[in-house]
Parts: sequence; structure tokens; C-alpha cells
Amino acid sequence: MDLKMSAVLVVHGGAWAIPDELAKASVDGVKTAACEGFSVLKRGGSSLDAVEAAVRTLEDNTVFNAGHGAALNTDGEVELDAIVMDGRTLACGAVSSVQNIANPVSLARAVMEKTSHVMLTSRGANQFAESIGVPTVPTDKLVTEYERKEWEKQKTYVTGVMEDFNSQWAHDTVGAVAVDSAGNVACATSTGGIRNKMVGRVGDSPIIGSGGYADNFSGAVSCTGHGESILKVTLARLILSHIEQGKSVADASRLSLKHMGDRVRGAGGAIVVSPSGQWAATFTTERMAWAAVEHDVLWYGLDPNEKIQEKLAQ
Amino acid sequence: MCQSRVNSLEVPDMLPVVVVHGGAGHIPKERSEKSTEGVCSAVRAGYAVLKRGGSSMDAVVEAVAQLENNPAFNAGCGSVLNMKGEVEMDTIVMDGKTLGSGAVSAVRNIANPVCLARLVMDKTSHTCLTAEGANKFAQSMGVPEVPMESLITEYARMRWRKNLAADAKPVECQMGKMGTVGAVAVDSEGNVACATSTGGMLNKMEGRVGDTPCIGSGGYADNQTGAVSTTGHGEAIMKVTLARLILFHMEQGQSAEAASDLGLAYMKSRVEALGGVVTVDPQGHWAARFSSKQMSWAAAQKDTLHYGLYTGEHFTQSIDEPL
Repeated sequence: MDLKMSAVLVVHGGAWAIPDELAKASVDGVKTAACEGFSVLKRGGSSLDAVEAAVRTLEDNTVFNAGHGAALNTDGEVELDAIVMDGRTLACGAVSSVQNIANPVSLARAVMEKTSHVMLTSRGANQFAESIGVPTVPTDKLVTEYERKEWEKQKTYVTGVMEDFNSQWAHDTVGAVAVDSAGNVACATSTGGIRNKMVGRVGDSPIIGSGGYADNFSGAVSCTGHGESILKVTLARLILSHIEQGKSVADASRLSLKHMGDRVRGAGGAIVVSPSGQWAATFTTERMAWAAVEHDVLWYGLDPNEKIQEKLAQ
Repeated sequence: MCQSRVNSLEVPDMLPVVVVHGGAGHIPKERSEKSTEGVCSAVRAGYAVLKRGGSSMDAVVEAVAQLENNPAFNAGCGSVLNMKGEVEMDTIVMDGKTLGSGAVSAVRNIANPVCLARLVMDKTSHTCLTAEGANKFAQSMGVPEVPMESLITEYARMRWRKNLAADAKPVECQMGKMGTVGAVAVDSEGNVACATSTGGMLNKMEGRVGDTPCIGSGGYADNQTGAVSTTGHGEAIMKVTLARLILFHMEQGQSAEAASDLGLAYMKSRVEALGGVVTVDPQGHWAARFSSKQMSWAAAQKDTLHYGLYTGEHFTQSIDEPL
């Protein structure tokens, strides 16, 4: 049996009401990232390497709200959150409110591998970045013209984040999950947060068990959607608890997202992979850009129930 | 005249109940008396809130605020120092009725981070604010800033200095010598809540955030299942999302005590770390369990004070009697 058959990678580019003008770029973006991540698995790389590579690709893509293309907080600054987790050891690295770094997912990994801590925030996270030679990127290089215009518009009319209809607001956090040929699972999630958020607002993305979780005994999850709702139900960990109870990845995801909708009126999405290679991409928002690679087939979708396949280019 | 004589001796209800902890680890003997006094005093304060009809959230915030003010604990005043010799605090509160939550991480110069965390929950549409953003918010709420010096004790400074030595082993040395604080409660209406507050890990990197302000790790509360507040090795608690894990076990039918032990045992075997928890279910069953050598804890229920420090200890007395 070819062990590489079990390697799977899934990515998402955010669960929200993605407007038509961003649809193609979002789908192209997740497809490219999925292929990038899968190529790491194909050449024998670990699931951790693969999810980092996939998320870096998404961070570099300005169409998504992570790294390049991040949203601005209420002070007009960029604050980034990210997490990675290794399902084999439960090792984890996270950064919250780190400023002006191109690839927060890699910084999160460095926290995991180069410190005895799991999470660094704010100035401390930036100091750590500097200490390991990670360059700072000026705000105007990270933020698009589109984002700056939208931010200015919103500042004039809105003073905060609307609770209702929260799926209407951009939630294009990015993330990836993977299982490699050794059966190790990993997850990664990265975001610029909500446009016009309060300074120092931390959402679900860097919080272990909420924005992501990975455990070789059950699987790996990366979440997107209304951050505060995801936190209140610890969505990633909730999905895995259902899997631990014997549910399929799809049912576990559906049940958990339904619970989030019922209990705290929050909408979102999740990608999941199990150690045996089962995977799912599920969402309760209007759309979620996602892509997965398995057995040299590329799957992707945007609208509910959409699942298109393509043979992976060699 | 016919009068039926009814025995009016009522058995007090299981509710309300409040349980607090003052940190799990290895508390030096000379500090253990202050630790026990502190948790007993805090639990009395929390219980008084509940008895006069206050909510479980009011009770846990009151108890934890008292522990923050008490220099014997690693929270608020008495917080451990980061590697630069500064105080950065992490806190969470959670309301089991709505799953509402408020947290602050790496906040400075605030006397009662637990009150600030509650304001995040009550006054913003967010659940967590960090560092300068948390301080900006405090300012906007009229929460006074206090000089960092007012939060630093001689003991904390001494521990910090010791750990600067090249051969010091901060992770081993800091374990619970000074404890994170926390509380869980159920009020008369059956609403559960939790609160946890800490200065974090001794000599931690600047900006290091532990389990405490991370929902599901430092604490979790859900009216359908119960509430948990944790203490111990922060990074390990995060890796197993200890609070949420214990509540998963309770959802599957385990008692508060059994679920707590299962969670702690898992943390010990999977990531080789020790800790402690206080746990309560909506019916008022509670547990104070720890895999470390000690955890100072106290509970109040049915006008009875319970407390302990070493494994197996469980003292009880009337809540109104002095210790």
C-alpha cells in the first residue's frame, strides 16, 4: 500500500458572504495554496510543514485578510493573530496582535519551536520576531488600497461590529489542516481580525481549541467565522470531541456549527481532517472558499453544497 | 385549638455554592498559612454575595478581586515578574448562561484585572483584549491605572532575581510557589460562572500568554454542564484545553470530581505536567482536585466552609466561625 495515499490537505480562505467580485480570486487563491501545501506532503514533508506552507501562500495573497491584505483596527493599524499545532505532541505556537509581520504563521511556529511558551502577544511577540531576525513590513505594504478605503468608509458610519448578521462582515481568516503519510495531523490559522476592531482585540484564531486544534488521536481543525462565537463554544475542540465520540468528520462539523448557531447565534466554517484521511469543509455562512487535495485530486468550492473536482496538475 | 406540629428544620439547599483556589504547585510552608487564610477569606466574600441574591458572576469576580488584592497570591498585587522585572497579567471571566466571556492578556498597571475582564464582556462586543489595547480600554472605562510598583512585592522580586541566575530552572522553580487564583460558583438560580486571574509564569518572556485568558483552558462555564477554573503549568493546560476537557467528561456523565481527575490525569500522561482545578455542576456538586503536591482551596455551601492544602485534606467548619 502506498502510504502517501493517506496524505490529505484542506485549506480555507474564510467563511462569510464573499461578494461576487472577490469570488474567483478567493477560489483561485485557495486552490493555489492547497496545491502548494500538498506538494510538501508529496515530497515527504510533515503535515506541520504542509499547513505552514499553505497558510503562508494565503498570507501572501492580498485577497485574504491575513498577512498581506489584512484588515485595519480602529486606529488604522494592522494587528495579526496566528496559530499552529502539531497533533503528535500537542505542541502549539501562537501570536496575537503582532504588528507588521508578513507571515504570522511562521512566527507562531517559531514560538512553538524556539521558546518554552505557547503564545506571545503584542510588543513581546514583535520583540521575539526581531530577536530571530524576522523582518518588519511597513503597514502600507501589508494593507491594500481597497482595505484602506473600506476602513475609512466604515469609520464614518459604524462605531463597532454588528452582532446580528455577523456573516455579512468579512471573516476571511485563512487556515489549513493536513495529515501526512506518517499519520500525523496538524493545523494552522492566520488572520488580520475584524475591520475596525478595537485595538488589541483578540479573536478565535490564535486561541488553542477555538481557532484551531490538532491531535493525532482525533484529527485537526481550523475554524473561520464570527470569532467571538467560535470562542464561546471552543469550536475546534468541540468538533474533535464529537469525532472522539465516533461521529464522522462531516457530522461532527455540522453538529458543532449548528450548536454555535443555536446557542450564540454565530455563523462560521471549519475544515477538518482525521488521522485516517477523512476530511470535510463545512460552513453555515453564505459562502466559504475552500480547497482540498487527496489522491492527486483537487476539490474546491465556494457556495453551499458545491464540490468541484479537478485532476491535480503534475 | 388544634395545631399540627411540623418539624420546621429545613435541610439547606445545595445552592448556592462557591469554590476558590489560590494556585496549584508547591507552596513553601512559611507561606501556606497566608494562602489558606486568603482562600477562606475570599470564599466567604463570594458566598456573602450569593446569599444576598447576587449572581454567580458577581460572586466569582468578588472572590477573585479579593485574591488579586492579597499580596500572597500570583495575581494583581503579588504577581510574578516577567523576565524584564515587570508585571503583565492575564484574566478571564465566563458566564454559563449566555456563554459570554471577557478576558485580558498581558495587561499592565491595573489593580483588578478580573474587573477589567468583566468590563470587556459587559461593555464591548469582543471577548478578549490584549496588552496596550486592554489598557486603552481600561482608560476609556475610567478604570484607574496604578503604578507597577504597587503590584510588586518583595517576595516576587526576590523570586525574579533568583531566576535570573544562569543555572536557574524557572519552569521547575515557579510551579505554584505563587499561585494563579480562580473561582467557580453556582447561584440560587442555577447559573454558573468562572473567573481566573494570574501574573503568569515567573521570568516569562515579555508578552507570554498562558492558559488563564484562553477560553476553554484557564476556565469555562456553561449552564448545561458546569464551570471550571484551572491552575498549574500554563502551556500544558493549553495543550489539553483542560477546562473544556473536564466539562466534556461531565457532559458524558462523569461527576465533577471524576471528570476533574480524568482531565488532570490526561494532562499528566499526555504532556507530563501537573495542575489543579475547581469544578462545579449546575446542581451544586463541586470538586477541588489537583495532581500537584498542593493546592490551596476553599469552598462554601450550606453555610459550611470547606478548605484544604495538601492532598487528601478536607477541613470543614461553620462559615461564620473564625478559622
